[in-house]
Amino acid sequence: MAGIFGFYAFGEGRENWDSKRFIYYGLSSLQGRGQEATSFAVYNYEFNSLIWISGNGFVEDLFEKIKQEDVKGFLGIGQVSTDREDYVIRVDEPVSLALVGDGKPALHESRQTAFQIFAEKLSEELDEQKDPIDAIKKIIEQTKGGYSFIALTKDQKMICGRDIHGIKPLEVGAIGFDIGAVASESSALDVIGAEHSGYIKPGEVVVFDPLSICRKCFFKNRTAYCSFEYVYLARPDSYLNSIPVSKVREMIGKRLVQENPVKADVVIGVPDTAIPFAMAYSEHSGIPIKLGFTRTGRHIRSAIKPSQFERIVGVQLKLNPIRASIDGKDVVLIDDSIVRGNTLRNTVYNLKRKGAKKVHVRVGSPPLIAQCPFGTEVPREDELIGKALSNDEIAEIIGADTFAYLSIDGLVDSIGLPKNSLCLGCFTGNYPEGSL
Amino acid sequence: MKIMGVGNAAREHAIAEALERSEHHPKIFWLAEIRNPGIFGICKRTGGDFTLSKTTEPEKVANYAERWRVDFVIIGPEEPNFHGVPDELEKRGIPCVGASKDLAMIEMSKADMRRLQWEYGIKGKLLFKTFKSSQDAYIVLERYSDTLTWLQNVALKPARQAGGKGVKVVEDQQLYLHDEKQRFKSRHADWLEDYMKSYSDIDDKILVEEKVWGPEYTLQCFTDGKSVKGMPLVQDNKHAHEFDIGTETGGMGSISGPDFNLPFITKEEYDESLEIVKSLVQAIQDKTGKSYHGIVAGQMMLTEIEGPTIIEMYSRFGDPEALNVLSTLKTDFIDICLAILDGELSKLNIEFDKKATVVKAIAPKGYPDYRELAKNHPVFIDEKEIEREGCKLYWGSADLSEDGKILSAGSRLVEILAIADDMQEASRMVDNCIPYVKLLDGWGLFYRSDIGSYELLSKRIDVANRVRRLYHYRREKGILGKRIDWLPKVGKTDPVALLKNELSKSKGDG
Repeated sequence: MAGIFGFYAFGEGRENWDSKRFIYYGLSSLQGRGQEATSFAVYNYEFNSLIWISGNGFVEDLFEKIKQEDVKGFLGIGQVSTDREDYVIRVDEPVSLALVGDGKPALHESRQTAFQIFAEKLSEELDEQKDPIDAIKKIIEQTKGGYSFIALTKDQKMICGRDIHGIKPLEVGAIGFDIGAVASESSALDVIGAEHSGYIKPGEVVVFDPLSICRKCFFKNRTAYCSFEYVYLARPDSYLNSIPVSKVREMIGKRLVQENPVKADVVIGVPDTAIPFAMAYSEHSGIPIKLGFTRTGRHIRSAIKPSQFERIVGVQLKLNPIRASIDGKDVVLIDDSIVRGNTLRNTVYNLKRKGAKKVHVRVGSPPLIAQCPFGTEVPREDELIGKALSNDEIAEIIGADTFAYLSIDGLVDSIGLPKNSLCLGCFTGNYPEGSL
Repeated sequence: MKIMGVGNAAREHAIAEALERSEHHPKIFWLAEIRNPGIFGICKRTGGDFTLSKTTEPEKVANYAERWRVDFVIIGPEEPNFHGVPDELEKRGIPCVGASKDLAMIEMSKADMRRLQWEYGIKGKLLFKTFKSSQDAYIVLERYSDTLTWLQNVALKPARQAGGKGVKVVEDQQLYLHDEKQRFKSRHADWLEDYMKSYSDIDDKILVEEKVWGPEYTLQCFTDGKSVKGMPLVQDNKHAHEFDIGTETGGMGSISGPDFNLPFITKEEYDESLEIVKSLVQAIQDKTGKSYHGIVAGQMMLTEIEGPTIIEMYSRFGDPEALNVLSTLKTDFIDICLAILDGELSKLNIEFDKKATVVKAIAPKGYPDYRELAKNHPVFIDEKEIEREGCKLYWGSADLSEDGKILSAGSRLVEILAIADDMQEASRMVDNCIPYVKLLDGWGLFYRSDIGSYELLSKRIDVANRVRRLYHYRREKGILGKRIDWLPKVGKTDPVALLKNELSKSKGDG
């Protein structure tokens, strides 16, 4: 999985802008979508060339290392990724271009290789076809999978698009009369001071060139937005496909009360993603919410860490329970998802050790039972506790008194779109028709 | 009846067409700087004449009006007004629908318009500062850039109306991006100064105004100097590209209707906006002692700080906004012109069709900042197909040569209009016509598919709702229009009082 960002300056005097700082803050706001690798490419006017910069780790780690003066350009794209060495793709011939992508085209097992193949095809088609729109149309038509991408060519085009189902998001914004920006989430646009103006539609292609923006949508009515974005991946301050993420999470909290009510003294949420669920759960159940945990260190998204060890360290560092909130109380603990169950087991154990009498676990998403072929890291199916065990069994294993998921219908209703307009693959094992 | 028009854009094509529709069956004569194929056709059809001439030289224009013995003249664009074409015509006893030079000041000098507004205490004002050099502007913007003052978030504009060019809005709220934006602001000020060198008719070069946000709309009005009659509200879309991205243009398309007002402006806001335009017409008449007979328009915005607010004034129809109103006008346009000239406008009942309209401009790539690139491309348009789609084609920046070829002239090539029961339908109708407009040498054209779409309209409604809540609250609290700044060591300051003080002082000096 990745977070992607693009910056494009228009009009007379556009060379005066430097995209680098915008990329820095844009990517920082997408850090939740990937914390293992940061990379970007800018178009440099003086040398008429693309410059690539990449490194492992957080956005700030990379930017601390680079010499600011050396990397300048008024057009630029960047990405953060959940995989190390997963950097901006570079293709030199026939058309020199850089490409960032979220999700995964169905071209290879590995995300990087899949996007490398995708970018090479794009370079060839751009060389062959007169109109870049035709080039991309052909590629999107031929490439299954769930992906969104931003490419920057040496001839100053920024090309953006989504697969025909629009599984992965891509939002668009503007600053003043100068700048167009594209990002995985609208929060990145807010952070750089852009006005969020809309989203690229499923199967839509948008080409920025120095003199125009051309936009074409070829494949209609096949929408299947990733539902996991709304539950977990996206930031609560983002709008995706014109749906506010926080609103979905509030609806989920309300729905959890309706589907599996329980008597308790206090509601707490696992930071950060589950906090909005917990707040809505409290509001609709009448059970007061308290601050359950304090985090230590950087915000590390535990579910997307690559190794088991780091995941556990991440959780222990992250979730120190606040004893006064739970001591002697029946607790409803809200989490956003349950993958293998080990983070929840640790959390429940810690809560009880600090004095919780009962712990009722509610999960704001349906059981994860299948892989995501579109680049979101879900462990092997035989590691997924939701596939292996019933609710009562899970409660027993993680040491909770009761345990319940959100139903699939609950999730669909909370997002507020028809079921067939969503990809629910990781919860059902069924993927959008024609996506694989 | 013989009527002469001046100007050569799509707006003037729409004016010529409205004249042609009249029951007076006039012969239509035209002066233009390029041979607009649409206007040219109308002149020929009605037995009038079309001549290429400079339109900003009052003598020349008046000579043609005399030679053709026209009953009256109607001016399309702003530059002939700025150069005193209506004044010269009137001097020779030829009636003219168009603002005379002194009156057109409300458009020509954005700074003087603002001074007038403050002097007469007209609602919908913005704080402003003018500068004669970019260096001066830079020093002030730099000094206040990280202070709690209105100068932190500003729009930088050329102080003179300059064909909708050169406006940059630099909002400096993200402290972490301050350096980027500050550097850009100063460079843009340099650019503006350089750009304004081509205009010698104005002292102020750079105008800095407080940055505001909200939905924009254009209120176009007929006036005979005594009464001011509002037309249906129109919204223009200034950004060159889709998603409201990119350079400011003269306008890439506009929407109106279906029922006189726009879906995101209330009746009360319409009325208030009309009051503001009326007050400004009265103020400029009072100031100059002249009577305004022609078209006047407020380019307005709903803002948090003032409610309906003037961004700029037009001394003419907007382009493309003229198309939206003239195409749905039910009253005979010549009757309106005559009422304007005779001072009888109050007696005339002016009616419009209750329909939604969408106009989209199509421009060659290069417009608006690199116009040389947009020029001299051969044009082919399948007018029959456009008609079959139920749309109307208005020629803009297109030049019909002697041998019948049409070449692009650098600005918006054509504008296509659709009238329908709702905006989305009208927008789709226009989109269907896009393939029928081509440049034969393969050079690219662009237009905005999103104008009139549900998504863009929802966005406007959303912004309007947010800003309306805020200004209503201010109004209830009695703090509409109130600003307050703070500077360390200086303390709280009232920028409104400071500006008023400054204005009355400079008036005293002058």
